[in-house]
Amino acid sequence: MGNVVELKNVTKKFKDFSIKNMDLQVKQGFVTGFIGANGAGKSTTIKMMMNLLKPDSGEVKLFGLDYKTEEKAIKERIGFVYDGNVFFEGLNLKDIKRIVGPAYKRWDDTLFYHYIEQFELPLNKAMKTFSKGMKMKASLAIALSHNAELIIMDEPTAGLDPIFRRELLDLLQELMLDGSRTIFFSTHITIDLDRIADYIAFLQNGELVFNHSIHDVTENYALVKGGRELLDSDTKKAFVHIDRASTGFEALTNNIKLVKDTFGDTVIIERASLEDIMNYFKGGFTACLI
Amino acid sequence: MFNLIRRDVILQKRQLLIFIPFILFFIIMNAHPALTFLVASIFIPFNTYAYDEKAETNILLNSLPYTRKEIIASRYLGAIIYMVLSIGLASLALFAFQKNFTMTDIAIGAGLFLVFASFTFPLFYIFKPGYISTVVMISFLLLAGIGPAIVTFLADHLTVITDFITNLTMPTLYTGVAVVILALYAISWVTTNIVYHRKTF
Repeated sequence: MGNVVELKNVTKKFKDFSIKNMDLQVKQGFVTGFIGANGAGKSTTIKMMMNLLKPDSGEVKLFGLDYKTEEKAIKERIGFVYDGNVFFEGLNLKDIKRIVGPAYKRWDDTLFYHYIEQFELPLNKAMKTFSKGMKMKASLAIALSHNAELIIMDEPTAGLDPIFRRELLDLLQELMLDGSRTIFFSTHITIDLDRIADYIAFLQNGELVFNHSIHDVTENYALVKGGRELLDSDTKKAFVHIDRASTGFEALTNNIKLVKDTFGDTVIIERASLEDIMNYFKGGFTACLI
Repeated sequence: MFNLIRRDVILQKRQLLIFIPFILFFIIMNAHPALTFLVASIFIPFNTYAYDEKAETNILLNSLPYTRKEIIASRYLGAIIYMVLSIGLASLALFAFQKNFTMTDIAIGAGLFLVFASFTFPLFYIFKPGYISTVVMISFLLLAGIGPAIVTFLADHLTVITDFITNLTMPTLYTGVAVVILALYAISWVTTNIVYHRKTF
């Protein structure tokens, strides 16, 4: 399978933050979850994918095409959902459809009305009267109505109640059934991903820590618990980050085999959730040198 | 691109309802026809900017399959299209109220509008959103208020220029002014394009 999105050696500097030499590929036909703490650079990366921001250096390609020459062709094939409402607050969905629809060659009115009905959205009420969940559904209905091959979503589940989050994830799963679509979405609610993501890209302080299949993540990462006396400058190398307590240590490893070889049965190895991984990485690599 | 221009009308459905009373106000107040044409032309394009200066609108437009060049072109072409339509409407209204006006009034109104647009359009993309609409509207009212006085003052005191202008034949004068205005509009278009290309959202 090819890559739908390819970032090569992308660097973008801001005053107090930067993305450094990022290489990121999004595989066609899969759901990739883009995780990282607030401020890790997720939105910046997504903006570069949408050509809202231009990288200082490096290359951004979508569907193998370059924004410099094929901007319209690329955007025809993307459906986007942003964190905030980007549609005109004062307009109703019918009018928004009148503005957005004709922009796409492949816009499908029937499909749009199908989603409006499915999401139970009012057509004649101004967007500003919508709840957060309804706004999200409206954005999604618009994003899905032009047969986009790639759906890019920035924090689509943020601020949604659990019931609607589940509904949304079910819908995304349904969308993936035909196999041709790719979904790339950022979130900091990692439990969403356990259900639907095939790949996890993890960003921290502007650097991509990993981009693995969810299977590889569960295979490679684990929580290790044991007595403090087991830790020394050599054995510590098996861990990404270590939390010490008076009763013992708890640490994250990305090399289960090494842990097993080093500690044998003296430690307890548990499955690490994505949240565990994010939390431990937040502590940083340097912490284990202390 | 046509969709981008048509968007203005969809966005301003409600504001358009006050468009007619707005023109009528100027007509009933016996404003100079040229001024009526000018304010009528300004109505739609500048109302759109009240939306377009918002970051969200720019994120939306730039996420749709439009290039930045097209977005700017739709503003500049749209302004001309809406100017022509507005002047048509204003002429009808003037006609209905049996007020006299000449082609010169239309030319002055349209000319002033294009000059005003040339100077203000780039500002909408240079300055931070939120302030610029207010700044432009206030400066417009100020100019409309004291502008004529300044022109009269200059005409009285800078005789070299006025002599030069009065010595020109009418066709030369009109063509000259038209060329200058169109050149200004073109420069403004190019400037806005450059500014907008560098913009990040």
